[in-house]
Amino acid sequence: MAVEAPAKPTLADKIYDKMFHNYVWKSIFRTGYPNTPRNQMLVVATNVFLHLHPTRIHRTHVKITHTYCLGGLSFFMFLGLTVTGILLMFYYVPSVERAYLDMQNITTTVQFGQLMRNMHRWMAHAMVILVFMHMMRVFYTGAYKPPREFNWVVGVILLVLTFLLSFTGYLLPWDQLAFWAITVGTNIAGSAPVLGPKTRFWMLGGFEVGADSLIRFYTLHVIGLPLLAAIFMAVHFWRIRRDGGLARPL
Amino acid sequence: MATAVVARPVARPQARARDEEVLVWPDLVFVEFISALLFTVTLFILSVLINAPLLDQANADVTPNPSKAPWYLLNLQELLLHMNAAMAGIIIPTVWLIIMGAFPYFDRDTDGQGAWFATENAVKITIVSGIVGFVGTWLLILWDSGKIAFFLNDWFGLSGGDSLRFLENVRSMQSQLPWPEWASEITYLPFNLKILDGTGSGGPTTFQHLDFPGWLVEQGIPIAVLLGLPCLLIYTLWRMGWVVNRRDALLALFSGFIAAYGVLTLVGTAFRGQGQELVFPWELKVSEGIPGQEAGH
Repeated sequence: MAVEAPAKPTLADKIYDKMFHNYVWKSIFRTGYPNTPRNQMLVVATNVFLHLHPTRIHRTHVKITHTYCLGGLSFFMFLGLTVTGILLMFYYVPSVERAYLDMQNITTTVQFGQLMRNMHRWMAHAMVILVFMHMMRVFYTGAYKPPREFNWVVGVILLVLTFLLSFTGYLLPWDQLAFWAITVGTNIAGSAPVLGPKTRFWMLGGFEVGADSLIRFYTLHVIGLPLLAAIFMAVHFWRIRRDGGLARPL
Repeated sequence: MATAVVARPVARPQARARDEEVLVWPDLVFVEFISALLFTVTLFILSVLINAPLLDQANADVTPNPSKAPWYLLNLQELLLHMNAAMAGIIIPTVWLIIMGAFPYFDRDTDGQGAWFATENAVKITIVSGIVGFVGTWLLILWDSGKIAFFLNDWFGLSGGDSLRFLENVRSMQSQLPWPEWASEITYLPFNLKILDGTGSGGPTTFQHLDFPGWLVEQGIPIAVLLGLPCLLIYTLWRMGWVVNRRDALLALFSGFIAAYGVLTLVGTAFRGQGQELVFPWELKVSEGIPGQEAGH
């Protein structure tokens, strides 16, 4: 009786085996592609980048029309802005003497400098729009209702932080657009009752936009506000899980 | 006798419906990956095609006309043209953010969550409030710019003459009405404590003088409009039987806000020319220089 012999491995099988089953690869990815439900849940629960997610999710929530991915995309813009922002920081010095020259260098002599600057700017605009649309999505799907009250409040704070992040970045090119937009913007802040003039002075480090304003806006833009936003984002994401995931009809 | 202590009901996370669930890997991770990819590619192409603006180096001596804040603040800059600066720039946005943050504490009903426009009349309310906010904001801006009076006169020959001139815009109520002398010098009890007095002059014992026509135009009418129109909208929709619960009222308020916010941002961005004059977007140009001797830009 002939026993069916196992098929001989083809060349492709051998290459695949060499590439993905070798010692180094397996030290990084301990398991192969998760192709059973058990492994697919494990990979989400144990992977540092994926464990923000639950392992399973209600099927209405993966429909694109339920969320349009707006919150996730806002976060993705934040990540993209961090990457392009760090690249820009290599070339940019926040001093009145150098800021504008550095901008010109970034756009003319630095490899892909113009591209990185464009990405940073358009992503920043996209983030403001996406955060706003995310707020509208949450409102119109009634997802702010109990028990998610506090997460809505955190969201409102994150909206303000997004505006502030964008606003502080606006001054950095140190061109006419930046200078006068910040002058107008801080004049608005300065009109506040009681604390207005003081607030404006704190923001600008003086009575008008100058060298001290530039270093303040820069420090807030690259470290202060991103840290604050990261803390609130951590709370925001954590609370989504704690409050039972995305809202769904009772 | 035992007394039952009844705790207030606190909303808790819902029980999970495990048979309705799908796996995050691959069902959600795939969607996230595709949308991230789509945005990366779109923004990449956009960045190749359109360069971020870089004008001349900052110069405190050369003021562009008009000078504008970043686009997402132009709604506030637009409000500034119509009322008291502190109100437009700080008080209104702050109060609105607090109101918005308080939404879930006002609307505590857990019904209708997790689905788009879940109450019965939600879509109708949203559309009508959106239209009211859109048209209403445009009308108010047009009226306050004096354009409505101008066009009524220009196109139809309608003119109220001097007796109706005070209706041209908000400020004309201050300048065109026969206010008695004392109206702009109303003495009232002092409450300008030292801390409230930015200039350092005066003090707790000084009498204050209220310029009533100025106050009416800068604060009174704007407050009345900003509080009155949303209340009127919600009241009307309630009388029509559309608004039946707090969720519906918030839908009307929020949709009206979105529309008004959109119009204010749009007008501030694309319809405000030199001297913040209301112009069409294609007439908008920026000049720079010392006032009076600007060079075209």
